[in-house]
Amino acid sequence: MIYRCSIFLFLIFLIFLRFYSTRPIYKNGDFIRITSKVYNEPIIYERLQYLKIQGLKIYLPKYPAVNYGDTIFVEGKINDKKLVSPKLIEIKETKNFLYNFRQKLIDFYKASLPEPFSSLVAGTVIGSKNMPESFWDKLKDTGTAHVVVASGTNVTLTAAFLIGVLTVFLKRRHAILITALGILGYVIISGFDAPIVRAGIMGGILLFSQEKGRVVSTWRILIYSALIMLIIKPVWITDLGFILSYVATISLILFQKIIDLRLKLIPAVFREGLSTSLAAQIGVAPIIFVTFGQFNILSPIINALVLWTIPYIMVLGAVGGIVGLIVPVVGRLILFTLFPLLWYFINILYIF
Amino acid sequence: MVFHKYFIYFLTLVASAIWLSVFSVGANLHVIACDVGQGDAILIQRINTQILIDSGPNDSVLNCLGKYMPFWDRTIELAILTHPDKDHSGGYLNVFKTYKIKNFLTNDLNNKLFSSQYIELLRNEVGGRGTEVIYPDIGMGIRVSLIYLDILHPSQDFQSSKTNNYSIVNILKYGNFKAIFTGDIEDVVSDLVSTRPELGEVNYIKVPHHGSKNGLSEKLLQAIKPKVAVISVGRKNSYGHPHKEVLDLLRSSSAIEKYKLKILRTDEIGDVEIISDSQTFWTKNEK
Repeated sequence: MIYRCSIFLFLIFLIFLRFYSTRPIYKNGDFIRITSKVYNEPIIYERLQYLKIQGLKIYLPKYPAVNYGDTIFVEGKINDKKLVSPKLIEIKETKNFLYNFRQKLIDFYKASLPEPFSSLVAGTVIGSKNMPESFWDKLKDTGTAHVVVASGTNVTLTAAFLIGVLTVFLKRRHAILITALGILGYVIISGFDAPIVRAGIMGGILLFSQEKGRVVSTWRILIYSALIMLIIKPVWITDLGFILSYVATISLILFQKIIDLRLKLIPAVFREGLSTSLAAQIGVAPIIFVTFGQFNILSPIINALVLWTIPYIMVLGAVGGIVGLIVPVVGRLILFTLFPLLWYFINILYIF
Repeated sequence: MVFHKYFIYFLTLVASAIWLSVFSVGANLHVIACDVGQGDAILIQRINTQILIDSGPNDSVLNCLGKYMPFWDRTIELAILTHPDKDHSGGYLNVFKTYKIKNFLTNDLNNKLFSSQYIELLRNEVGGRGTEVIYPDIGMGIRVSLIYLDILHPSQDFQSSKTNNYSIVNILKYGNFKAIFTGDIEDVVSDLVSTRPELGEVNYIKVPHHGSKNGLSEKLLQAIKPKVAVISVGRKNSYGHPHKEVLDLLRSSSAIEKYKLKILRTDEIGDVEIISDSQTFWTKNEK
């Protein structure tokens, strides 16, 4: 017990240490130059692209386009956590295989399916937010944006898919090891968004505890993953994605089973989506409402109608994308088979 | 057993994909002025043949292409950039990235008058894609399956200090249906075009320059006697397009009575879709 407490205290101490040692030293009005790797996919607006680097908001002209994984060199003046009149001096494109793989996948989806279907696939499979603004707004209005910001669900699905396929061919031990590597690869490909990292760490701990044959409580995994994340990147404590991800997970653990049991009348296809969405909303809706002033009372119903398609879109989309990078025609045919589901998903959104 | 189940799911998906693709095509000609805000993007489609005239100011043209083109068709047979202004060229970068464009009809983008960072990006994109680039000339004819295009403007040696006046003007013919697309030409060129012998009466006009008073001329209107005038314009745009002068010209008693002219605006009704079976034509939802 003492042993556990001391680990716990030590982790908290580390967070404080990291928080104070990584605090930026610049103040308003300073003129600075930053060289940094881009760890999140820039969000594209009509004339601008938005990125967040070292806790600073930076709005750059739309072209030349900055991609996730590139290293950029910008200068500008600090004003209230924003870089005013930023100037992009240089982009060094990444040579890393995984970053390029992500970009190639997105390009392949966009070249194989029309908008907004391609954005839906790219968002669902690897959390790409590079999509027409009108579609992004539609997703936000209907409360379904979480499906395209790669989330914990994606990691769970990746892990389940890999374990399911690998245990057929390999020893369980090896399968678990490769799955863990697969999760890591997925976290890198989909951009280090807080929800993905959370799910990646939680999934990793679960996998290895299974391997060792130990039962670990979900709560403990949840707390340890949060601590680990804050040690790596203390600014995450103020990141909305981080907060929402944890609040949603906690709400799911607390309420999902109870709600699911009471929805026996709902057909099984829609039930899981509805209970998941209702449970998550209990925690998430107030936060979203306070921060964005957005709240759609129909959102659980819309989610119930569309969420069952996500595993299929994700699995077929991933398989189609990977095959497509090797044999484009075959990959494209696989993506075409997804079209009815995508068509259904998007038409549901536009009915509401 | 589990695999069995998923295999059946998969076959169901394949079957419905095939049905959806069968129902997504019809044999008529569709002329769709996409609602892309302040700018032009006109999709002309017959079965799996597409011509795209301009690409609007941004990526919203991709939504329009996605909405009307069959989902399995990733090829646009002919793309036309009437002139390089951003409200006509802005979407092409990503159209070239995501679709296969067979032919590209454009003014010479190396012209100093057009130079901008975006145009340079676009030029490189086009150059790297194996697209056949065609430069316009008066009297040039282009055939794309059963659709014929005649180029009325500009000639190869045309010179002007205004980008707008380089706008490629063409007449489309599909059986008895005729439509004229005018880009952003100003009234000087409008008058010039009205004297072209191949003009004759035309069913459909894309009103020049989003209905700016410095666009459609009375001479051109009288020469072609259109039945439908389409204005592609953004809601509450900062230019005040379409201007009252042009609306008055279109609504003038002679136009309404003689040609039974109908004005359709993208800012009022969204995408403007005209359908023709080569004999007659109608706007969507009425025949």
